[in-house]
Amino acid sequence: MQTEPILEARDLTKHFVAGGAMSRQTVKAVQNVSIKLFPGKVTAVVGESGSGKSTVVRMLARLIEPTSGQMFFKQHNVLEDKGRRTLLSYRGQVQIIFQDPFSSLNPVHRVGYVLQRPLRIHHIANQKRQIQQRVHDLLQQVSLIPAADYAVKYPHQLSGGQRQRVAIARALAVEPKVILADEPVSMLDVSIRLGILNLMAKLRDEQRIAFLYVTHDIASARYFADELLVMYAGHAVEGGDTESLLQDPLHPYTQLLISAVPDPARGLRTAEIKIKGEIPSLTAVGDGCPFADRCPHVLPKCREAMPPATVLPGKRWVRCYLFDGK
Amino acid sequence: MAHISTSDSAQSPDAALKPLLTVRDLSVEYRTKSGRVRAVDHVSFDINAGEVFGLAGESGCGKSTIAHAITRLLKPPAYTEGGDIRFQGRNVLELKDDALRAFRWEHVAIVFQSAMNALNPILTIGDQIVDVIRAHTGMSTRQARARALELLQVVGIDAKRIDSYPHQLSGGMRQRTVIATALALNPELIVMDEPTTALDVVVQKQIIDELQQLKKQFGFSILFITHDLSLLVEISDRIGIMYAGELVEIATARQLFKNPRHPYTQRLMNSFPSIHGAKQEMLGIPGSPPDLIHPPTGCRFHPRCSKVIAGVCREIHPQLIPLDATHAAACHLVNEGLHDAN
Repeated sequence: MQTEPILEARDLTKHFVAGGAMSRQTVKAVQNVSIKLFPGKVTAVVGESGSGKSTVVRMLARLIEPTSGQMFFKQHNVLEDKGRRTLLSYRGQVQIIFQDPFSSLNPVHRVGYVLQRPLRIHHIANQKRQIQQRVHDLLQQVSLIPAADYAVKYPHQLSGGQRQRVAIARALAVEPKVILADEPVSMLDVSIRLGILNLMAKLRDEQRIAFLYVTHDIASARYFADELLVMYAGHAVEGGDTESLLQDPLHPYTQLLISAVPDPARGLRTAEIKIKGEIPSLTAVGDGCPFADRCPHVLPKCREAMPPATVLPGKRWVRCYLFDGK
Repeated sequence: MAHISTSDSAQSPDAALKPLLTVRDLSVEYRTKSGRVRAVDHVSFDINAGEVFGLAGESGCGKSTIAHAITRLLKPPAYTEGGDIRFQGRNVLELKDDALRAFRWEHVAIVFQSAMNALNPILTIGDQIVDVIRAHTGMSTRQARARALELLQVVGIDAKRIDSYPHQLSGGMRQRTVIATALALNPELIVMDEPTTALDVVVQKQIIDELQQLKKQFGFSILFITHDLSLLVEISDRIGIMYAGELVEIATARQLFKNPRHPYTQRLMNSFPSIHGAKQEMLGIPGSPPDLIHPPTGCRFHPRCSKVIAGVCREIHPQLIPLDATHAAACHLVNEGLHDAN
């Protein structure tokens, strides 16, 4: 029943140049990552620090330009549109929520003002009364009730969870089709994280918003996401339906990642995977699979070229030579 | 003011075992401009030799303040307002100068969350370990360096890294260096305050596995503090749950996982989605942790609790009530036997 993707990225690559004239280095932050977002679905990108997941979000939000690759919004190639106008209209449809609600809200403005800004900038409402009504609607949608009380508060008068709700309301103000959520709950207290995830799930279901959920917390990705994309050192190594992927991870890195998640329900430590080494430096990533040096199943060809994606039944795919040609 | 009785029945199942550390009725206050904040309120627990005791709770519940109080690292505006901390029978709160210096490193070592801040950026990691060893023993620099090398290898750092500066190491290696330093003088207790929170799960797993190996090898006890209850249940022998400055439940890790009795513990347990088993809707906990300048009356959890008893929970502060030899909870439902009916 899945229709066309609302937002699709093909082979997104981002290289940053670091260092001075004498020590120029290329940081290969993201390499050939493809991703599709569908209305009313959540796609999670999971990975450790430095895996490139936030860079993917920034490219999709058009905060940074990809080095290469293509992006399609409703089948329209958006990277060809350069002007401020088209960028504004893109941002009116694709919104972003950041990790830290303590720094993403301007401390000198009241909540009401924060929510009015996008309404005015995107000409969603112009009359004073209309704007006020819309601000109250937004606050109610994110369960900040009574809305009139919250509208006059400053960010410092709110808890972390309430601030993140304001950030979500701000994203909703423009009635977006896509929300990119970059670690939206990782700075919040554990007891209120689920409240935020449940709120986003409600928006997904009721407003058919497509979500990209970026996280290092696989358990929360399982809870919230329909599909999963696993990133390692700038590469997307495995993807597919969340449940199927987590119950039967194929890529050796995915297996390692899942085995490392603390989980008392799993019972006493089963099937230990011995972990070797650390994530490679992104300036030193070669042409091969970035996991090769740590992989227990490494083959000679793994160090030469990144394996192509092998497509498997059940919307699964994996980039690993162990499955190539199967 | 709130009060929790010191319930000895909530302590070790083995009465013959003498606790390494006993904390009784510990209270700590922050004296701020806007009022006194009681960050730790009449908290009591024991840590036995060779045991991992876990303390869990959300930000601001007082768990880190306890770590600082035990290691005597509280700085104004934080003051210990009452209670007693004994380590091998000695009164920790009265230790002075040399005795305190010896207590810290030789008997109790500390590992904090941010390894970057714990290490001096302008000294090599080898020099920092040598410093600690030389300050506490009569070892020569050469002997101490040999010991530092040994310690780095014990925590899985390549010997050739000894002359590296902290910024040349990854976060995981820095945290391993801090653990190596903590082990330097063979302490009986290592206090670890969110030691792996800043690390990725894979690195966290590596460090936790190594830590358990080291514990087996050296036999120290650990006070492990984290907000990550699922990690704590995996590694701890016993666990204390803190809420708004109070210890609200204490039990073995297994009891806590199988049969949490305090509604806060139950809801907290239910705030961690699992990657295994049936997928179910989870609710987290409504509301936010309270403001400790004006804590709620009665049970401090009552504004967020779904099982409030009319006329009781808002009015009367619950005491920690023993359920069996190793399990106690501070909840009126437990007292009235109403708990299971809900």
